[in-house]
Amino acid sequence: MSTRGGLLRWVAVPLLVVPVTWLLFTGLGRDPRDIPSPLVGKPLPAFAATTLEGEEFSSESLDGRPALVNVWASWCDPCVDEHPLLLAAARAYAGELSLVGIVYQDSPDGARGFLARYGDGGWPDLLDPSGRIAIDLGVTGPPETFFVDAAGIVRYRHVGPLTEEVLVEQLAVLGLDR
Amino acid sequence: MIATGGHVAVVVGLAATLFAAAAFALAARGDDRGKAALGRRAMIAAFGLAALACIAMVTLLLTHDFSVRYVARNNATTTPPFYSVISLWAALEGSILFWTLLATGWAALVLHRYRDRAPTLMPWVGVTLALVAAFFFAVMAWPGDPFVRITPVGTEGNGPNALLQNHPFMGLHPPLLYLGYTGLAVPFAFGVAALVTRRTDEAWLVIVRRWTLVPWIFLTAGIVAGAWWSYAVLGWGGYWAWDPVENAALLPWLTATAFVHSSMVAERRGALRIWAHALVVATFVLTLVGTFLTRSGVVESVHSFTASAIGPWFAVAIVATLTGALVLLVWRLPDLRDTRPPGGTVSREAAFLFNNVLFLGITFAVLFGTLYPLIVDATSGERISVGAPWFNRVNAPIFVALLFLMGVGPALPWGGARWPTIRERFAFPSLASAALVIGGWAIGLREVAPLVALGLAAFVVTVMGDEVVRGAHARARSRGEDPPTAAWRLATRNRRRYGGYLVHTGVCVMAVAVAVSATLASDVTATLGPGESVRLGAYTVSYDSLVIEPLSDDPRVTETRAELTLSGPQSGSLAPALRDYPNSTTPIATPTVRTAIGEDLYVTLLAYDPANRSVTLHLFVNPLVVWIWVGGVIVALGAAFAVWPEPRRRPLPAAAGA
Repeated sequence: MSTRGGLLRWVAVPLLVVPVTWLLFTGLGRDPRDIPSPLVGKPLPAFAATTLEGEEFSSESLDGRPALVNVWASWCDPCVDEHPLLLAAARAYAGELSLVGIVYQDSPDGARGFLARYGDGGWPDLLDPSGRIAIDLGVTGPPETFFVDAAGIVRYRHVGPLTEEVLVEQLAVLGLDR
Repeated sequence: MIATGGHVAVVVGLAATLFAAAAFALAARGDDRGKAALGRRAMIAAFGLAALACIAMVTLLLTHDFSVRYVARNNATTTPPFYSVISLWAALEGSILFWTLLATGWAALVLHRYRDRAPTLMPWVGVTLALVAAFFFAVMAWPGDPFVRITPVGTEGNGPNALLQNHPFMGLHPPLLYLGYTGLAVPFAFGVAALVTRRTDEAWLVIVRRWTLVPWIFLTAGIVAGAWWSYAVLGWGGYWAWDPVENAALLPWLTATAFVHSSMVAERRGALRIWAHALVVATFVLTLVGTFLTRSGVVESVHSFTASAIGPWFAVAIVATLTGALVLLVWRLPDLRDTRPPGGTVSREAAFLFNNVLFLGITFAVLFGTLYPLIVDATSGERISVGAPWFNRVNAPIFVALLFLMGVGPALPWGGARWPTIRERFAFPSLASAALVIGGWAIGLREVAPLVALGLAAFVVTVMGDEVVRGAHARARSRGEDPPTAAWRLATRNRRRYGGYLVHTGVCVMAVAVAVSATLASDVTATLGPGESVRLGAYTVSYDSLVIEPLSDDPRVTETRAELTLSGPQSGSLAPALRDYPNSTTPIATPTVRTAIGEDLYVTLLAYDPANRSVTLHLFVNPLVVWIWVGGVIVALGAAFAVWPEPRRRPLPAAAGA
């Protein structure tokens, strides 16, 4: 093999390695479950249900204030991780932000046990025994959180446990940024 | 306690593999048998430690110890014991643990078997295998610790992934696939050793082809079992969806298959040696990419687990392996030039070269289709997916060409063929092929795919059959054996060739079954009230009643079953169901499949209305599907026949004059 061909063959190494590296690392920043929700930009589907305390609740009462609709279950382990963030947001924006929980595929006792253990923020948690609300929201699995603005329009859907970063960023979109 | 024990086993396992790598590296430098033995013992110890960690995890799952996060996420108090055990590979961290067990198992086996052979190669094989195992232990020691605890401890867990606890095949498909994946590290290790030590001659190829074929059998069986599982569980009436993770298993299979072919030319004729080395490297890198795709959450698929911290580790490992192997390959390129002049354009060498080009073509097509959504997302932020029709359209012509080569290749002589030979060998198979196509047309077959598959399969099988019959006859005549004995002895004296023929026969069976089932299936969807019925072909299915009840062995699961009565070519009762798992939004289908030699009747429950007890059923008549599984079994058996160890030939006694 000539010297030129001998040196030229080394070009093969970066030619293959560089694109593979680029692809693998850009792929990592991508969450395959993060499929844009068709609800984003549309009004939150209306729902009415019984809360864990046995009171009737309708989504109409959310009107006029930004809201977080959080889908959770007591058997859902990542829900435990995000729960303190929801409690903190409820405290920080008391009076400015509504929170509603949708209890997903869970028994009332299970859900009450979860709140007793990890803290009850006092916001309504709706029972959804038929899964109707979850279906209307297009939930793929708990936890999932919908950010709804004061006009009742869904601005963002977060799949998986909330992080502080996402929460702060999306609440700012809703006009809550302190 | 048990969880702590498991964690300790992982950490000690990491130490053992690193120690083994160091011992083998020293052995390689000083040609030191003692250090190599030390490294070998350390690898066997690492296998034992991985086994201990697996036993710890299975015990935790069986005892529903929810203080361990993996158990809390993948097990519930009601999970049946069988599914508790197989939950070992139901999610990310457990899979990696199981993976490590298999990887160290292969390593220990190979290092032990070759302890007294290939003394130059083995230390480098040991270094490579030890480093691969060390990587998996390290993943478990840091980002993917399967034994992480959680506080406070819950009283109930999430339960296993609904799709994975719905069918006993989940106990078979992943282990087979993982055995294949992990085993392919062995040929890679030999490839690295051969390049480092410049022993790139025929000797390493003989070892490596055997150690590629063994995991290849498991990989093939794993892929077919996965297709079977998909058919039996997912309820869409098909078996292959070009899902990214299915593709991830197919990619190393394609390159490993290509290697098995080019290695034959490399061994016999000293040609295609660059191909052989590059394919060994590509196969191992693709198994890592496959793991990465499955385990990092980069692509959306039924298989992918949630995004995790393990992703970057795998990305770094893939890039490091690829870079290292490429540098080694390019560095040793001058050693890998063909030692003999190439054969003519119509020679067996040429057929093998085309084979490799075609396999590589499919590999690129599948890789491109799988990664294309990733490329689009990275460059334009758009979310797209590449569907099955694209894959079918691109790959079908290549598969057709491969099938044709499968018939031509084995009948062509090495070096080059002259026209009379070609005419003599292919006249009869071509006639048989044409006869079958015309026969198919005559009985009303009008679809292109089945006719092409049938014609080519007939061609391939007659070419092989012709050769076996001729060989058996010649042997029977010259040795005075009866023809069946002669055929058996012929086959067992040349296992590689005739095992290969059996594999090719299995592939032909699968090709015809796939082409027919893909184009000639029929289906109907119907919504029925109680007492109503629906017809499809010769079958009538009538709907009797709807039963909604908790599953007897897992009461958290609600099963909704449509009780049906079937009449027609097959009769009896059917009960397709939908199962609602508490941790899954979408109900999981449990279709009923009635299998016969000619066709399957496949019934799945799409929806039901509890108010008026009506059900929506989807009925399929899928012709020849069972032959896909039969073909898969033939392929695996053929490959097993090919690698079956020959009985050691006894040295001839001096007085063997008889």
